[in-house]
Amino acid sequence: MTYAFYPGCVSKGGCPELYPAAVKVAERLNIQLAEMKDVGCSGAGVLSQEVSDPINARTLAKVEQMGMTMMTICSTCQGVFTQANHRLKSDPDYRERINRENLAQEGLRYEGTVEIKHFLWILDEEFGLDKLKELVVRPLSGLKVAPFYGCYLRRPPELMVPKGFERRKSVLEMTIEALGGEVANIKGKGKCCGFPILASSEENSLAMCSDHTMEAKEKGADCMVTPCPLCHLELDGLQSSAEKHMNEEIDMPILHLPQLVGLALGFTPKEMNMHRHMVSTEEVVKKLEGVRA
Amino acid sequence: MEVTFKVHRYDPATNGKGQLQSYMLGIDEDASILDALMRIREDQDTTLAFRGSCRTGFCGDCTMRIGGKNRIACSTTVGKSVKDGEVTVEPIRIINVLKDMVFDAEAMVYQKYRAVEPWIEPSTPLPQEEHLVSNEVIQDLRKVMSCTMCWLCDEGCTTMVVDRKFVGPAALTKAYRVVADPRDSKTEERLHSLSEEKGMWDCCHCYEATEHCPKGIDPTERIFALRNQAIKVGAGSTKVRNHYRSFGASVKAHGWLDEARLAIDTEGLTNIRGQLKQLPLALKALRRGKLPKPYFLHKKRPGAANIKRIFKLWEKK
Repeated sequence: MTYAFYPGCVSKGGCPELYPAAVKVAERLNIQLAEMKDVGCSGAGVLSQEVSDPINARTLAKVEQMGMTMMTICSTCQGVFTQANHRLKSDPDYRERINRENLAQEGLRYEGTVEIKHFLWILDEEFGLDKLKELVVRPLSGLKVAPFYGCYLRRPPELMVPKGFERRKSVLEMTIEALGGEVANIKGKGKCCGFPILASSEENSLAMCSDHTMEAKEKGADCMVTPCPLCHLELDGLQSSAEKHMNEEIDMPILHLPQLVGLALGFTPKEMNMHRHMVSTEEVVKKLEGVRA
Repeated sequence: MEVTFKVHRYDPATNGKGQLQSYMLGIDEDASILDALMRIREDQDTTLAFRGSCRTGFCGDCTMRIGGKNRIACSTTVGKSVKDGEVTVEPIRIINVLKDMVFDAEAMVYQKYRAVEPWIEPSTPLPQEEHLVSNEVIQDLRKVMSCTMCWLCDEGCTTMVVDRKFVGPAALTKAYRVVADPRDSKTEERLHSLSEEKGMWDCCHCYEATEHCPKGIDPTERIFALRNQAIKVGAGSTKVRNHYRSFGASVKAHGWLDEARLAIDTEGLTNIRGQLKQLPLALKALRRGKLPKPYFLHKKRPGAANIKRIFKLWEKK
C-alpha cells in the first residue's frame, strides 16, 4: 500500500535522525511512501486555527488528489491534522469557505474524504503486528522499554481513540512486545512531555521531563520509545537541563518509534542513527549486541 | 448486588496518612456511588465524610476518585464501577484533603476562581435599553456556563501535577466566559492579567482537561481561544510573544518551521544571557549532527509562496 507521507518539520529539523530511520523501516516493511514536499507546517497547536486550518486543508486537498491515506510520524502533526480534518469534514460551510477563499486560487479543493494515520497506527491497523513479529530478526529480548505516546496521539479521545479503535490506547506497548521487548509500564505514558510550555514556563517543563524519565528509570527501563519527535526534543534534548534543574542523574535514552522497529528488523544502530541523540544510547546498543541479527 | 466498598479514611487529628476501610453493602447496580456512600454513612458509619448535594450531576460537589478514575459520584453507577466485587473510593489527588473525601476547596478552587474575577464588568454608563448579545455568542457562552465547578479538569491537568500554583483550566474556563462576553468592558485588561505567571501560558494544551470535563465544555479549546486573543492584544511575556511571532514568521516565509531560528528568536536576539544559556545545548546538538540551519540557510518548501498567500489573507482579516 502507498501512503501520502507527511514527514513534518521536526523529523528533518531538530530530530534529523528520525526521517531516514522512518523511510528505511517503511521500505523494509514494503510500506510505499509518496513523500509530500509542497505542503506547509501543521501549526503544531501554536499557530491559530484561523491560519493553520486553511494551510492544513491545502495539504489534505493534495492528499485527496493522490487518492491515498496520509501517514504522519509525529503525534503532534497527527493530532493537529485529525482535529483540523474533523472540523473540515463535519462543517461543509466552513470547508467551502476555506476552499473558496484559500484554495481556489491554486485550483485546489478539499472534499473532506481524507484519512490520516500515524505510522504507529498503520503498523497495527493496516500492516499488522503479527506480521511485524514474523519479520523480527533481532528480538529486543532483555530490553525493557517504557512507552511514551505524546498527548496529541491520545486526546481528545473521541477523535484520536474513537469507538472500534480502542487498541490505540495500548498499541505502543503491543508494538514493543511484538518486537520482543519488555514493557516498563509508566503512569506518565499518555501525559504531556512538557515541550509545549518550554518558552512560557521552563521550570514546569523541565519538571515534567524529569518526572517521566525518572519514572521510566524507577520502573527499570533501559530506554523510552516515542512516536512523537517533539516529545523526543524534550525528553532527549532537554534531559540534561532537567538533570541540572532537579539535581538528579537520569541518563535515560529516548528512541524514536521507527528506530526501535528498525533495530528489531535487523538494521544496525548506525543505520538507525542511534549516535545522533543527546542522551547516549550506548547502553541500549550494547544490550542488543548480545542478540545476533 | 453485594459489593465491598474500600473507602479512603483520613482524619488529620488521629490518622497521619489515611487508609482504605472496607464496608460491605447490598445495593442495586444502578445505584450511584453517592447513594452507596450515603447508605454507608446512614447505616454503618456516621463518621464518614464526603461532599454531595444535588444528586443529579448538577452541582459538581461530589468529585472523587472511583476505581482509580476521576468521577462525579452521583453520576457514576455502582454496576459500572465494580471490579471483582469491589469498588475503591478515594479523594481527588492534587488538593489537600481535610477529611476522608472532603478536600480543601477554598485554597485550590475558590481562590483561583476569584483570581480571574469571573464576573462581567459592563462599561458605564449602562445602556438605556437591554444589552443584546448575538445568538451565536450566547450559545457558545451557555455551553461554558454549564460548568458545575466540579474541578475534574484541574484534577486531570498535567501542569497542576508539577505546579499547584497554576491557575488551572477550571478558572481559565470561567475567565473565557467573561472574556468572550461582549457585555464585558475589561477584555484587554483581563487578557494581560491572565497572561501573567501561572496564568494561561502555563497550560501545556494536552487536552486532559477536555477529556476530564463531564459537561463537554472543552476547557483546552477555551484556553486556546484566550491565547489567540491575548496574542492579538500583545499580552504574554516577551518570550511567549517572541515565540509566537517567530513561529508564524518562519512558516509564512518558508512554508515550514525554522526550529533553530525559533529557539534564537524566543530568547530574543539581543538577549545575550539567554543566548549564552542555550549555547552548550546547541554545540552538543551540532556535534551530534542535529542542529538545524536557521534563517536564510533554512530552505524554503516548494509551495512556500502559497503558504505565504494564505498567511497574508489571514493577516488582512
